[in-house]
Amino acid sequence: MAQPLGPGDARRAALLLTPAYLWLTAAVFLPLSAMLFFSLLSDAPFRGADWRFTLDNYRAFFATDVYATLLWKSLRLGLTVTALCVVIGFPCAWVLAKTIRGRAREALFLLIILPFWSNSLVRVFSWAIVLRGNGALDWLAGLFSSGDVRLGLLFTPTAVVIGLVHSYLPYVILTTYLALQAIDDTLIEAARSMGADRRTIFRRLVLPLSLPGLAAGAVLVFVPVVGSFMEPRILGGRFGAYFGTVIEDQFVAVFNWPLGAALSFILLAVVLAILSAAAPVLRRAQGAAA
Amino acid sequence: MREGGGWLSRLGVAWLWAVLAFLYAPIVVMALMSFNASPFYQLPFAFSTRWYADLWANAEIRAAALRSLVIAATTTAIATALGCAAALALFRYAFRGKALLQALLFPPIAIPWLITGTAMLIFFFGVGLGRGAPAVLIGHVALALPYVVIVVNARLASFDPTLEEAARSLGASPWMVARRVTLPWMAPGVVAGALFAFAVSFDQFVVSYFLARPGDATLPVLIYTSIRKGFTPEINAVSTIVIGVSMAALLAAARFSNFGGRR
Amino acid sequence: MAEVSVRDVSKRFGATAALDGVSMDFADGGFCALLGPSGSGKTTLLRVIAGFVAPDAGAILIGGRSVARTPVEKRDIGFMFQNYALFPNMSVAENVGFGLRARKVGAAAERRRVAEALALVRLDGLGDRRPHALSGGQKQRVALARAFVTNPQVLLLDEPLSALDKALRVEMQSELKRIQREIGITTIFVTHDQEEALTLADRVGILREGRLIETGAPREVYNAPSTVFAARFLGDANIFEGRAEGAVLRLPDGTAVRIPPGSDGAAAFAVRPENMRVSLAPPDAPGVDSVRGDLVQRVFAGAMTTCVVTVCGRPMKIVAPDREVADLPEAGPVWVSWDRARMMAIPHP
Repeated sequence: MAQPLGPGDARRAALLLTPAYLWLTAAVFLPLSAMLFFSLLSDAPFRGADWRFTLDNYRAFFATDVYATLLWKSLRLGLTVTALCVVIGFPCAWVLAKTIRGRAREALFLLIILPFWSNSLVRVFSWAIVLRGNGALDWLAGLFSSGDVRLGLLFTPTAVVIGLVHSYLPYVILTTYLALQAIDDTLIEAARSMGADRRTIFRRLVLPLSLPGLAAGAVLVFVPVVGSFMEPRILGGRFGAYFGTVIEDQFVAVFNWPLGAALSFILLAVVLAILSAAAPVLRRAQGAAA
Repeated sequence: MREGGGWLSRLGVAWLWAVLAFLYAPIVVMALMSFNASPFYQLPFAFSTRWYADLWANAEIRAAALRSLVIAATTTAIATALGCAAALALFRYAFRGKALLQALLFPPIAIPWLITGTAMLIFFFGVGLGRGAPAVLIGHVALALPYVVIVVNARLASFDPTLEEAARSLGASPWMVARRVTLPWMAPGVVAGALFAFAVSFDQFVVSYFLARPGDATLPVLIYTSIRKGFTPEINAVSTIVIGVSMAALLAAARFSNFGGRR
Repeated sequence: MAEVSVRDVSKRFGATAALDGVSMDFADGGFCALLGPSGSGKTTLLRVIAGFVAPDAGAILIGGRSVARTPVEKRDIGFMFQNYALFPNMSVAENVGFGLRARKVGAAAERRRVAEALALVRLDGLGDRRPHALSGGQKQRVALARAFVTNPQVLLLDEPLSALDKALRVEMQSELKRIQREIGITTIFVTHDQEEALTLADRVGILREGRLIETGAPREVYNAPSTVFAARFLGDANIFEGRAEGAVLRLPDGTAVRIPPGSDGAAAFAVRPENMRVSLAPPDAPGVDSVRGDLVQRVFAGAMTTCVVTVCGRPMKIVAPDREVADLPEAGPVWVSWDRARMMAIPHP
């Protein structure tokens, strides 16, 4: 149990905490600050390059509607993927929390969570193998119809959505499952004893109680999807330009780091706005899971 | 609502299995294709291990795999040590600013890795470290650290502090209390945290992608650059191995932690 | 084994005084119960004696020596926790042997003494079990064995039986008493259950809001409480309040009640429910007093029946064998009577 600090304890606590937080500062918080600084420069200040402070990089965002369009495209992608994850994931979480019991539940829960923690790049690549022309999906479709079937799904926005849903679906199932599991079965039985039908129970009891978990899952899907670049690159082909890929380009192809930093920072601002708007819900979800 | 919803719950279970199929089918297909003889993924399937033989012969892939393993192992050691220390302090002491410190664990997890990775790139160049294995390692530890703290903290949260009092009342020195009571309780959390750290590092692509030097890549970065050149069954083979390793690590972690789910 | 003295101990937690100038002596080999409602400071007092909590003022003496500078692990105590606090990662034998190992008694001696302790609590042969495989009563015995096996100077028990169900609790009470007698160790235990305190202890201390308001042998405190609070807390008490006029007490409605001689200046008078009778007519016997009342409730509870009678506007509780009150009407005017010698004069409010 947490105790108030005694005289020697303050030193001991500092000793235990400092290395970890020093590391986080050097590797996360200082870099994020450096990025803000960088986004205000006219040129990368390396090799004696001439640089000055400027807002040009942010002006560039507004000067053409290329970036704004791409950001909007990324946000729409985020909404689509999140909505699909919620619609597909909620029934799974429900079945897992309320229908299946005992060891089977543990095993199924693990099976759903396992891919999420495994290599996402490889999982995206596996969809490329499935969706490619003449790939496994075409072959499967060919079994059910005559002739050569070419669905041609790879390198389409649909492929990007499929890959991202595949990547993040377990997250929604996890958080929703935790929220649903926290709902005492006797609450539902009480509602039934008072004559509530299944729809009323869902609408008045289950949904409100599981909403924090569901919302937490949604936010935790939406944020990384908006910042995704690897999935669109592999599965999107020439439709694969999103806000994330433009940022990647600035760092690995165009080498306009200040612009990249500014775009990254705009993305960070969007992300932080979403996270802070969702903060109360996230806290509640965390409380429910604890 | 187990009873009274017969067809509905059967439908739900069917839905669950469909989702599981959706989650695993592509991985299975990819793994199968790595054993298909045709270099163009042609069907019908003809079993062959030639792509794994090719992998073994590929010095670049072997070097990247070794690099990934070394970085993951080092990340695990550092992140586990620092993370356990921080978790212990956060559990044991009440002090001002503790809530802030706990909140600071979330940015590395919640901010998209694209942003974190590019920010690290900028900063490491700014301080003269540049790209390369040290930069990758520093980044990986920072990403793995919060997971270790959270997992170990979760384990400690269920610790009954009267156990320590009981040990002291029985005459145990502080060292004996730690060794015989507190640490044995922490151990499963520490093992789970370490395995998470390993998985985070071994699977990490985005941050490695920005921080690794070309020709000095980790396995996921090498896979990515190969994919962009074109799909080959060799990539299937190496991907199959990578996902096998990370799933094994996570299955092991699951024995010690329940990923937030209650048992 | 040693005597324990608490000298003028005070402890504040924030704005609340958990202990306020508490002094009490615990005799060598005695079995003392600390009793009080929740928040009265009884557990804090126990934890101060153990050394888990440092007092703001005052001193603790164990065997005549101040332990102010002695940390918990050096105080040579046995402490039993309300939740037992058995180490889940150790077997029963390892749990019991933990304190012996801390004292480095050697493997052979440890094995022998663990076996003896387990025999004493009647758990022979369960040494290899893990705590989670034990029943509540067994856990309680392991915790007790673990606390006394090191032969500490004093045994401190924090609500040792409260986690057990009633039947088991009664059984464990006599076990606890037997074991304490056998090892003859100075024992202090905290409880909120007055019946348990009366059953087990040879001495009780009653705490209220951080102050020790009463100490004494259980029978003495029960039969002659010095405060109204103690009279009410230790068993039930029907309190008579009014104006004392010589040998009588004038109740608010004017009724006169005889009071025991020599009770000048008493704050109140009380009669225990089991010392009262209810009848339709006032009994005519020497030394028996009675007042008129209204029977409002009669609750049958097996051997005894509880009657609630309103006397002078206040409810009084009377416990009597059922056959004595079976003939009474469900409600109506009755007489409440008691043996005059059974009336207690209580000096303090």
